[in-house]
Amino acid sequence: MTRGFIYKLIFIIFIIAFGIVLILPTFGENEMEIILQDDVTEEQVASLLRRFPQDDFEVTRKQGAMLIRGFGISDAVMNEIRIYPGVKDAKILKHWSEKVFYAKKINLGLDLQGGMQLVLQADYEKMEKKTGEKLSESDRVDITEQALEMLRNRIDKFGVSEPSIRAKGSDAIEIQLPGVKDPKKVKKAIGTTGSVEYRLADDAYTQLAGQWLKEQYGEKEVPIDPKQQYELLQEISKGVNLPDNLELLFFFQREEGSRRIYPAYPIALHNKVALAGNDISKAWIGKDEYGRLSVHFKTTADGASKFAQVTAEENHGKKLAIVIDEKVRSAPQINVQITTGQALIQGDFTMEEVEVLSRIIKEGALPVDLTIIEERTVGPSLGQDSIESGFKAIVVGMSGVMIFMILYYKLGGLFASIGLMLNMVFILSLLSRFGFTLTLPGIAGLILTVGMAVDANVIIYERIKEEIRDGKSPRASVSFGFDRAFWTIFDANLTTLIAAIFLSRVPGPIKGFAVTLIIGVISSMFVALFITRFVFELVTLKKDLKKLSL
Amino acid sequence: MERVIEFLRYRIVAYAFSLILFALLVTGTIINGGINWGIDFVGGVKLIARFEKNVDIAKIRDVLSTNDIHAMVQNIGTGVKNEYIISTKLLGKGESSEKSYEILKKVLGDNFKTIEYLSVETVGPAIGDFLKREAAKLFSIALIMMLLYLSFRFEVKYAMGVIVALVHDISLSLAFCGLLQLEIDIPVIAALLTIFGYSANDTIVVFDRVRENVQIKSKQTFLEIIDRSISQSMSRTLLTSLTTLFAVFALYMLGGDVINDFALTLLFGIVIGTYSTLYIASPVVLAWERFSSK
Repeated sequence: MTRGFIYKLIFIIFIIAFGIVLILPTFGENEMEIILQDDVTEEQVASLLRRFPQDDFEVTRKQGAMLIRGFGISDAVMNEIRIYPGVKDAKILKHWSEKVFYAKKINLGLDLQGGMQLVLQADYEKMEKKTGEKLSESDRVDITEQALEMLRNRIDKFGVSEPSIRAKGSDAIEIQLPGVKDPKKVKKAIGTTGSVEYRLADDAYTQLAGQWLKEQYGEKEVPIDPKQQYELLQEISKGVNLPDNLELLFFFQREEGSRRIYPAYPIALHNKVALAGNDISKAWIGKDEYGRLSVHFKTTADGASKFAQVTAEENHGKKLAIVIDEKVRSAPQINVQITTGQALIQGDFTMEEVEVLSRIIKEGALPVDLTIIEERTVGPSLGQDSIESGFKAIVVGMSGVMIFMILYYKLGGLFASIGLMLNMVFILSLLSRFGFTLTLPGIAGLILTVGMAVDANVIIYERIKEEIRDGKSPRASVSFGFDRAFWTIFDANLTTLIAAIFLSRVPGPIKGFAVTLIIGVISSMFVALFITRFVFELVTLKKDLKKLSL
Repeated sequence: MERVIEFLRYRIVAYAFSLILFALLVTGTIINGGINWGIDFVGGVKLIARFEKNVDIAKIRDVLSTNDIHAMVQNIGTGVKNEYIISTKLLGKGESSEKSYEILKKVLGDNFKTIEYLSVETVGPAIGDFLKREAAKLFSIALIMMLLYLSFRFEVKYAMGVIVALVHDISLSLAFCGLLQLEIDIPVIAALLTIFGYSANDTIVVFDRVRENVQIKSKQTFLEIIDRSISQSMSRTLLTSLTTLFAVFALYMLGGDVINDFALTLLFGIVIGTYSTLYIASPVVLAWERFSSK
């Protein structure tokens, strides 16, 4: 063996080892920590234990948590466990190879791990019609950015682990929420846009309504169901003989230390909208002259005159209610007339309160309607099913191809089969290392690669066979065979690459398919032309080799 | 002596066969109601839902049609996993996809006790037009790129052969989808593009042989050289088709219903791609050669 051979051998062993380490976080033994809710019942724990049978998983119970150890714990399983009753959260702990090496767990697409994808479209045409102004491209980008920020705030509330919210062109937004617990709620929160209004309150009737509620309703809590709340408000309106120009709504307060809001008391508002949400152009947190936290805001040019009107002398001492989705969230008192279009809301606010308030005002300031034009929701159990059936297909497809190759090409077939397995390792390790997303079509791409990867071997072997038939020695045949096959394989694969690269530009899950195909083509060329060649050269080193097993 | 099969002798038969097959598939497609564009392209709603045990496909169809909803219903699981794919185009006139979903959900919810939605897809009509344009653009650019690459690496006549074979395979596959009324959605488009890549790959290996054999000085005519080249690379063509078919067949059988149409399209495309490699691509090269040397 020459020195060159030894270097090659070391190089090959090194990349194979590295490839295997890189796929360990995805395919190796993993640990998942399940954090249980405080009021978890024994029955709920039992159903969790049933999900992870003792034979396959090692389960350790700790105070308020469980540790599961075993194979096949994917993100889909994690997302599935997250929505189990009695479970607060679940997360897969970092694999040792992620700490020591640069390994990373493979990114699963939403179709495999479960989750929701939404595409929202901003209706700029409607906005242009409303304002009568033409929007420039950069205006649109700005507003879309603003909408992104708003959506981030809204989605934050739901504690989705890795939400991806990004602009898609200048007028669409794509939201991906893996493993979301309650897709319906999130959708609702996203769908309600821009219904912030500013309306004057009527103190006299607010008091009457409060009294009526105290007398008639007593200590009973206000119902949580919006429909019942509405009926209750109707009842109060009748009870206090509310005039037609007024309307009763609930004032909502935030429960301390949680994100929940609850109806605190009824408040009477004028029907007339004094200021629309989008009359405000900007809102930010600042300090007032006493150094207290306050919310500052600026109106649009249009809004300034409306604002001057509503803050005129006659309204001083009255309250201006901020209404979002038919809920009154704040009602600051009007003290001075503001004609400059810039004002602030003062009070003894905490940081949390001013944050919420400025967020509400900002949400109202979003001038454009967002509509959901595409939605894809996949439950985690379906995702896990897809993973399992996908990998079953890979294993069966691969075994079939391997058996066939060994029967047909004997020793050469065995080499090709080993090459096929190496291919899988390389593709998966590249996919996970570089953070590409594996989707269901991606798994299909893997299977297709299985079929096509042996193509290079077939081309080479057929060539070698021909050379042998022409009477060349095994060693020369191998050398000629590989050399001649090289350009054939190169040209053929390059055209497949061209198709795959264009495929990778199709939006959605197909991107994952194309990426696996691209990586598959490159990897199969490397394995066939470099590793298999090396093995063959090694075999034909023996000078007295008479016959090649092909 | 090496064995040479006279592929080109039957080129007229092959052309006729392809044309008749295409005509049959297209007729079938028209009879069945044309290309069945999936919700990715025309907008609509696609659900995968699990029903209680005693619900069957007829019952679901019945409920939907009495409520004036034209939907495709497909059973994909039995027993505890009594699961169905239900897909429908946009309901009513100009209703949004969200609205259609609400209507569908309400109808199902009113008529069946327990439904668990495993997957929900709603797509608005605007996306579809964009996608159609985008897909058409991608196919054309990929075709042009391939033409350029092959003209550069080979000669124009070979590039023509590959392109004609590609168009042949893609149109037949598309017509095949139409005949079976497979929904043309994004995965099926991916399958078509894959057939595109596969077929080109397959054909180029043969042409590579032709190119090589042309350089060897011999008294053979171009026709004889082509026949010889196809024969020489024949075992490779069949072997690779076989292994790929096997892998895709495993996907078709085991890959789950979500990926079924994709795998089926691919199966057909690979068979057709192999056939066009043997019988369509090379005659075109020959015809181009004869035409241009006149």
